[in-house]
Amino acid sequence: MTTLAGHCHCGAIRVSLDTALTAAELPLRACQCTFCRRHNGLTTSDPAGHAHFEAAPGAVTRYRFGQGNTDFLVCAECGVYVGATTETPEGLTAVINVRGVDLDGFDGRTPEPMIYDDEAPAERLARRAARWTPAVVVEAQPTS
Amino acid sequence: MSDAPFEWRGGGCHCGGVRFEVALPATVEAQTCNCSMCAKTGFVHVIVPESRFRIVRGAERLAEYTFNTRVAKHLFCAECGVKAFYRPRSNPDGWSVNARCLDSLDGVDLDLTAFDGQNWEANAHELSHLSREPA
Repeated sequence: MTTLAGHCHCGAIRVSLDTALTAAELPLRACQCTFCRRHNGLTTSDPAGHAHFEAAPGAVTRYRFGQGNTDFLVCAECGVYVGATTETPEGLTAVINVRGVDLDGFDGRTPEPMIYDDEAPAERLARRAARWTPAVVVEAQPTS
Repeated sequence: MSDAPFEWRGGGCHCGGVRFEVALPATVEAQTCNCSMCAKTGFVHVIVPESRFRIVRGAERLAEYTFNTRVAKHLFCAECGVKAFYRPRSNPDGWSVNARCLDSLDGVDLDLTAFDGQNWEANAHELSHLSREPA
């Protein structure tokens, strides 16, 4: 198991991926949805790994759109899109925005364009349960 | 004027809260950038003078982020995080619009070059003409 790490621009959200795969073996997807095109998102995930999002107090903005079953996590301080989470029957799963957090090891990779527009909600959740990474999002509490 | 050199085009963030208009010619100089900020946002720069840009709605929804010299005013929608435009350090008298946030690129020829923002001081002069108002 290795840990790939990264963070948003200001550092208020830190992300890590524990995985038995190398960065070269992990997928790199360029979702073509309206949100990801604006953020130029490039995501990865490992269903056998573990994703950890750690945020400073108040640093996470959760944005929802479309089917409304996904939290797109944006840094409230610097605006960088760091990843997305969905609740599945097996628990919380996530993708990490490799570009937004500059995740270790992906330089020079060509992403695979992905189009999910025609997916029904159940299909979408099933795909995510199968492909996305089991995850936790930890937000620190204000100290005062 | 049918031969107007510029056409006003709309764009905005993802949630629709922030909307802008920018006047663009048929061929648009645009830049990618490898600086620490642009690398994380994938911003595609279209830099224009003040007179060729206007915020249509949502100015109150913009969050501002600054770092390093704090000259650039990085603006993003507080709801969806999208950075549709900002005040760039290279052209603080103008605006840089994110080509990714235009409603349509139909009829626009993006002449895309790679700006070396990792060596900003050595290269910023290449961009200074882009925010100059017409005489």
